[in-house]
Amino acid sequence: MAELSQDVVIAGYARSPFHLAGKGALARTRPDDLAAAVVRALVERTGIDAAALEDLVLGCAFPEGEQGFNIARLVGLLSDLPLSVGGMTVNRFCGSSMSAIHYAAGQIALGAGQAFLCGGVESMSRVPMMGFNPLPNAELAKRSAAYIGMGDTAENVAKQYGISREQQEAFAVESQRKAAEAQAEGRLSDEIVPIATKAGVVDKDGCLRPGTTAEALAGLKPAFSATGSVTAGTASPLTDGASAVLVTSGTFAGAHNLPLLARVKAVAISGCSPEIMGIGPVAASRKALERAGITAADLDVIELNEAFASQALACIADLGLDPSKMNIDGGAIAIGHPLGATGARIVGKAASLLARTGGRYALATQCIGGGQGIATVLEAV
Amino acid sequence: MSGVSKVCVIGAGTMGAGIAAQVANAGVPVLLLDMVTEGPDRSVVARKALEKLGKAEPAAFMSKAAAKLVEVGNIEDDLAKVAECDWVIEAIIEKIEAKQALYEKLEAVRRPGSAVSSNTSTMPLAVLTQGRSEAFQRDFLITHFFNPPRYMRLLEVVAGPQSDPALVAGISAFADRALGKSVVTARDTPGFIANRVGTFWLQSAINAAFDLGVSVEDADAIAGKPMGVPKTGIFGLVDLVGIDLMPYLKTSLTRSLPKDDPYQAIAKDHPLILKMIGDGYTGRKGKGGFYRINREAGKVKEAIDLATGEYRKAAKPVSIPGAAQKDLRALVSLPGKLGAYAWAVLGPTLAYAASLVGEAADDVLAIDTAMKLGYNWSYGPFELIDRLGSEALAKRLEAEGIAVPEILRIAAGRPFYRVEGGQRQFLGLDGDYHAITRPEGVLLLEDIKAGSKPLLKNGSAALWDVGDGVVALEFTGKMNALDGDVMTLIGKAIPLVASQYKALVVYNEGRNFSAGANLGLALFALNIAAWGEVDKLVAGGQQAYKALKYAPFPVVAAPFGLALGGGCEVCLNADAVQAHAETYIGLVECGVGLIPGWGGCGEMMQRFAENAKLPKGPMPAVAKAFETISTATVAKSAANAKEVGYLRASDGITMNRDRLLADAKAKALALAEGYQPPVPPVFRLPGAGGKAALDLAVQGFRARGLATPYDEVVAGRLAHVLSGGEADLVDTVTEEQLLELERGQFVALVRDPRTLARIETMLATGKPLRN
Repeated sequence: MAELSQDVVIAGYARSPFHLAGKGALARTRPDDLAAAVVRALVERTGIDAAALEDLVLGCAFPEGEQGFNIARLVGLLSDLPLSVGGMTVNRFCGSSMSAIHYAAGQIALGAGQAFLCGGVESMSRVPMMGFNPLPNAELAKRSAAYIGMGDTAENVAKQYGISREQQEAFAVESQRKAAEAQAEGRLSDEIVPIATKAGVVDKDGCLRPGTTAEALAGLKPAFSATGSVTAGTASPLTDGASAVLVTSGTFAGAHNLPLLARVKAVAISGCSPEIMGIGPVAASRKALERAGITAADLDVIELNEAFASQALACIADLGLDPSKMNIDGGAIAIGHPLGATGARIVGKAASLLARTGGRYALATQCIGGGQGIATVLEAV
Repeated sequence: MSGVSKVCVIGAGTMGAGIAAQVANAGVPVLLLDMVTEGPDRSVVARKALEKLGKAEPAAFMSKAAAKLVEVGNIEDDLAKVAECDWVIEAIIEKIEAKQALYEKLEAVRRPGSAVSSNTSTMPLAVLTQGRSEAFQRDFLITHFFNPPRYMRLLEVVAGPQSDPALVAGISAFADRALGKSVVTARDTPGFIANRVGTFWLQSAINAAFDLGVSVEDADAIAGKPMGVPKTGIFGLVDLVGIDLMPYLKTSLTRSLPKDDPYQAIAKDHPLILKMIGDGYTGRKGKGGFYRINREAGKVKEAIDLATGEYRKAAKPVSIPGAAQKDLRALVSLPGKLGAYAWAVLGPTLAYAASLVGEAADDVLAIDTAMKLGYNWSYGPFELIDRLGSEALAKRLEAEGIAVPEILRIAAGRPFYRVEGGQRQFLGLDGDYHAITRPEGVLLLEDIKAGSKPLLKNGSAALWDVGDGVVALEFTGKMNALDGDVMTLIGKAIPLVASQYKALVVYNEGRNFSAGANLGLALFALNIAAWGEVDKLVAGGQQAYKALKYAPFPVVAAPFGLALGGGCEVCLNADAVQAHAETYIGLVECGVGLIPGWGGCGEMMQRFAENAKLPKGPMPAVAKAFETISTATVAKSAANAKEVGYLRASDGITMNRDRLLADAKAKALALAEGYQPPVPPVFRLPGAGGKAALDLAVQGFRARGLATPYDEVVAGRLAHVLSGGEADLVDTVTEEQLLELERGQFVALVRDPRTLARIETMLATGKPLRN
């Protein structure tokens, strides 16, 4: 058991709509403006006294260009947070904003603050994956798969774990169905912050492809390997989006009448081989579950990021997760995966779902390029 | 009229839509109207046409920007917008009632003084304007485009007796300069010029094939290349334009031509051809034509047997004896069917063309231009007569009882063209020779060459004085291929120009600017492992091109058609480029297992480094250059070349091919004022890290099946050059160092047998080997 020594809670969650990079409705919105809109909305919605915030911690996988200059500080200024609130940008690729939450929890445990705004942002329209100036270490590139493309890792996982194309496609159809239903029934609207753009207000997710069928997916060409099984339909799309959660100590939340979504029970990081980075959630989740003193069977809510159907399926099988509890409102294949923003989305989502479903334990976990996994176990308050 | 700033095209069929696209290519907004349809989108006909236009092959638009200049609408809701247009082009169905009804509507909405023209190919102007006001008739003319309007250079212009000469001149000038068309003035006679001669020619050739029992393969071999006709020949051409067009043209011409016109005697519908059309064998657009590719039999090329009407495997055509391939006299005198067929096609057609001087056209020049630009003949009818001999032609016509046309009698054995006192002249109906005068702004090397001697010349290049202190460097090798001789001549030209002239333009009048280095020669050197020679060729080219770049006078390259490999690199090394709109420029070396070796690598990086739209840092310019070169990107037009990056925003584009030299010369002279050679660029390159990033990208392409194993090797060598080899981010790389890197990697590639295999395949098949 390695629970946090101090009670840390998720006291609010909000995100922008997620839209396809390049052709989506947020392609012309700067990432700092996008994140600022979400931060501003979360402060308003939770009613927190912003002056009580210690720090704004934002995850971003490619913090350069419009995402450069320590974007967290700039978002703080853009969203008119008091000057006393700090700003730090965190990069752990796809695990960036979940790491931001872990950092805040640690700071609270350390007695280094009571309230943190943690989130993430990625405009994959405006800052390309790999950045503008990719300059790998040539020696490292020779002796390891450190820089391997994400699609190739998805192919490797599919091969190594025997995940067929049909299984991946069935999974993607299900993700699309769940997301479409959630959207239709308004289960996504609470968390979404409408974003004002030059072309009008954007208040709905744009990546979803409702009505996706296995037949339609079966017709797609492999996206990464001529002989492979992974297609654009079974991979998360390049996405623009921002997300944020409010992380506070339990005492602070109580004293300030903040909405209590869930308690952070345990967290973990674990490295793995870069070639099969998609399997990262397995070791990280095992660690976090062990630290929380529970098993996969105890989980009521699971948010496992769907970078690719192949890796999600491999993780489900390896961890023995109950698919009926997973990604209830759809996953990244349907909703989108703005790299730096996803971690805070799935922690915020898992916390909200605990509150909504009355479950006790939740797991939010994701894989990370370069070979890592990250996991957060939440408990109902 | 005072210029054309907006055009309306009515009728969004193949011709109307194509004309609209070309107007847009000229940068002029265009309104494309068609019939109204009931439903939510009342302009769906025009909108569909615009969509189709965007996907046309060959492309109708020259750039993405051009496509945005077309606005669609329908003739009920949007006709009033015609008032905004300076020129309204009618391209609707060839039915006189429909056209007249449209003109009546136009009369009510158009702005007085705006031009109205018809793209009719069959209707007399006098009939079209019946019932229209005087003002309408004053503003009306026929502008007959050829299909596809972007690519066919001919525009036949027919003015009526009432047409305002100033307005006709204004439209002609716009068509010439902005649309790039060569305007030929035709008289108001049926079929105008090109289709009248062309239809006669095709009909004669088809008739003769049936009559003489000549197979379609042999017919195309005889009446194709040796006569300077595109290699499709007769039947291949009919397949291309559509066999069903033949009866249509026949009907239209037999109806409108006088009964004693020689065409009436030969016009006929062959039962086999009617059956083919009935069965859907209308040519390439249909199930097949005189030729077809039989996919069931495994992609076998088949030809139809004119006697039986059955398809059979296409036979290797008869071989034309050497002399007859070049000499028309020898061709028509060949014994047996060969010579008989050649004569049956050529004799009557040339006689017919000659009979039209003074009737359909003012002079021989108009007819020659029309056939060259409207039917892609290499020689016009009168140039062919000169090759045959006007006297010999007249005699044979007489002997065979074919009426000898007046102009042939006037010629009395004299040629239709001659050079007198350095001036090209043509023979007129008055029996005198007249100077061929070019419109202002048209300068042809052909004319200069006729009247002067080269300043320098060897087997592959020549240098000409093109006036006003400017010289032209002309490539003269086969396909304008580049070799050591070209580089030697450049070396000699530089001191000459520096001491006696102001500027140099790189220009020629071949079919293409240059398809690049002489691969045949390179292959020969590689096969005998003459590595030293190869190294010398690369180093020599680098030196020559850089000498041009840093010469004390401006150099302007004027590409057109293909400008590939070394042909592209000479443009990249020039101070500026004045390109013909139809320029297909690209660094295609990777396709044959090589990389650009004459400075192309550094020049492309410099262009991308100057591009303010790219992000900063050491990689963007490198990555863009890598992407462009490694995929052997060829621009689809000069405008597209600016989008791709081969041309700079400041480079010029000339729409009319005939104006290219004059425009390039003007650009060179403008640069010559206070000219300072460029300062050599200095690069800051990423070194090994950059190469690692590019290599990773190529591995991804390879995994996806988009790159072959050897592509990866070639791309790796290219990546080595572009990333600066062993360069470190904090150091700078000079242009000289980059050239050395480029040369080193080039020479390493030529030693690889897989490069040799690629070159061999390219030379043997014209297609890249994907090894």
